[in-house]
Amino acid sequence: MQPLVGQPFRLGALFGALSRDGVFYAFVAPFALLTCLFGLWPILLSFQVSFTASATALRADASYVGLANYVAILSDPEFRASLWRTLTYTAFAVILNVGFALAMALLIDSRFITRGRTFFKIAIFLPVVTPDIAGYVAWKWLYDRSFGAINAVLDLLGMPAFGGLASVSTVTTAILIAELWHHAGFYIVIFLANLAVRDRTLDEAAAIDGATTWQRILYITIPQLRPAILINCVYALIQFLKTFTVVVVMTKGGPADTTNFVSYYAYQLFDQARYGEATAMASVLFGIIAIFALSAYALGNGERGR
Amino acid sequence: MKLATILAGAGLAALIAAGPARSQELTIWHDLGDNGNKWFEQVGAEFAKTRPGVTIKPSSFPTDQWFGRVIAAINTGTSPDLIYNNYERVIRIQTQTNKVSDLKDVLGKISDKGFLQEDDLRVATYGGKMIILPVQRVQMALGVRKSWLEKVGETYPQTWDDVKRVAVKFTKDDPDGNGKADTFAMALQAAKPRDLIHMLDLFTFGSGLRSTLVDAKGDVIIDQPAHAQVLEEFLKTYTVYGFVSPDTINHSFTDMYQVIEGGRAGMFRVGDWNVKKWDSQAIKGDFVVGPWPQFAADRQNAVVIGGMRGVAIPENAPNRPLAIEFAQFLLSKPAQQASLELVGAAVRKDLDTSNLSERQKFFAEAKGKLVAYDFPESIHTWYPELEAAFHRKLMAALASPPKDFKAFIAETAAEMRELKAKLASKP
Repeated sequence: MQPLVGQPFRLGALFGALSRDGVFYAFVAPFALLTCLFGLWPILLSFQVSFTASATALRADASYVGLANYVAILSDPEFRASLWRTLTYTAFAVILNVGFALAMALLIDSRFITRGRTFFKIAIFLPVVTPDIAGYVAWKWLYDRSFGAINAVLDLLGMPAFGGLASVSTVTTAILIAELWHHAGFYIVIFLANLAVRDRTLDEAAAIDGATTWQRILYITIPQLRPAILINCVYALIQFLKTFTVVVVMTKGGPADTTNFVSYYAYQLFDQARYGEATAMASVLFGIIAIFALSAYALGNGERGR
Repeated sequence: MKLATILAGAGLAALIAAGPARSQELTIWHDLGDNGNKWFEQVGAEFAKTRPGVTIKPSSFPTDQWFGRVIAAINTGTSPDLIYNNYERVIRIQTQTNKVSDLKDVLGKISDKGFLQEDDLRVATYGGKMIILPVQRVQMALGVRKSWLEKVGETYPQTWDDVKRVAVKFTKDDPDGNGKADTFAMALQAAKPRDLIHMLDLFTFGSGLRSTLVDAKGDVIIDQPAHAQVLEEFLKTYTVYGFVSPDTINHSFTDMYQVIEGGRAGMFRVGDWNVKKWDSQAIKGDFVVGPWPQFAADRQNAVVIGGMRGVAIPENAPNRPLAIEFAQFLLSKPAQQASLELVGAAVRKDLDTSNLSERQKFFAEAKGKLVAYDFPESIHTWYPELEAAFHRKLMAALASPPKDFKAFIAETAAEMRELKAKLASKP
């Protein structure tokens, strides 16, 4: 099949491709239709709602208010604080998750682990397939300051109690750890897949030339992991910009709004039937995610072009 | 031929008259759970005795879902015939749809309504419209574990000083006797701003005061001595006193119930809707109910009317005339008796309470002084925004307790006054 992408559009060529690859398009059509129906249509509908007055948003004759909802949310200091909080949390979470995953993947792939490699791989991937709500409820209990295991252990060791989810100074760290537990396995698997197909002869040649282990990791292995690093960073960016479930289960945005990220803030407005402002927030978040994702895509294309 | 036509017509008319009554279904959406479904079904069966062929189809939704579904249904012309919930939630439905019927005339046509008090009707009215027919008073009081009181040698706390003394014993004297220091004096909630305000309302109105944040004129009152005293004790209860679980700042409704029903707290809020369940399950009747403790010798403490549950009718209800009849029927004695027995609340005072437990009777017979929430949002359009800012200040104080609570209250009052002036001056 000849790709149509990158060619100037010609109706004849399109019909030619359709007749030549008819079976392919026949198989693809149902899924394309489903993607449009359940993927694109709700997004477009959400944009539409963001331009309507909340009270009329769900009516057939909704009244349109132009950019009023966007003006309202952008002039809301709580939203601006929530957006900034979301961006900084995402930056920390991406660095922590991808960095940790890279380190773990290199460790699992290294000669330091001679036995039980499969066990470690399964163990580290298990949290990914654990239902997130169940996982976060367990973490919430672990952090509980009256009966949680973490503080019980700290108490046994004679160490000061961990504020966990109840303290402004520790809550972000607490949910970062829970999210790391839940997501890191996925990034590790991507890194391991990339490590499996890397050119090991380069590593051997560098070793013969006297490069230290650290130098080989830094200058030979990591540059070969660029595709996995890019994919993981993009995926993590999207994941953490949308942070929601962990907040709903563990903190409800608190304490004192410390974990009130944009997705949860928008959800609270939905709960108050402020559909216009809530979808405006969702649209702003969607825009930010799209910019990050497209930039990363462009960056990836640039890397391949070099 | 003419005679034959007349005879045929008469025969047809007789057949229609003698045939079964036309069946009609009334849908009602509420959030009272299984007990609510049972109540509506029982009342529906009673209603059908006078309106043969009419069936009631109740559907219970979790509160958050109820709200969204009702708004969506009303706005898209697929409304149920009746909606049932707390007054404040129906206000939100009205503000989002502007399609909740005014029931003033409907109430006017009910002759047997002397049991409804002025406060009941006041809270049922919003923007000049009677948006619900008041059917159940939502009463809230203080519950204390009976066995814990006996264990620490105390009786039901009458004053706030009593509460503090009992609280220390509940925290330190192993009142559940399991040999571990795992009990808390009180169970409260604070995860969401509304959770926190509900708790503050309980402290405030229970102490006999009539407003939480602003008075009837709209003036900020939190730094007036009586109010400041309650607010300070409220904040200290969450923070420096150590009476509640350290995670209370993240505790929502469900978490608070886990602490209560899991046997980890000795004092807690009891709503009239809780008693039936807690009499038989979870706490198994091991609790005493009384008015909120007294804060000042010169002010009578009270049981709090936290709202009014009632029935509302969307303007676009598919069977509106019949829905109005059923709404009126919910105030009849059989419907109210069933409400008391199945949901634990009613508004009539002539009901049979002989089969109720002591705790149920406390609410059903309104044994304590009743003080209702003030609902300033029904008077001042700027109130919700002011209240939201007040929530944030309180939440911040719980997260990082101030060194000087009095100074914090004075500072908050000044900020609220400034904000109120700004909000009130908006066109």
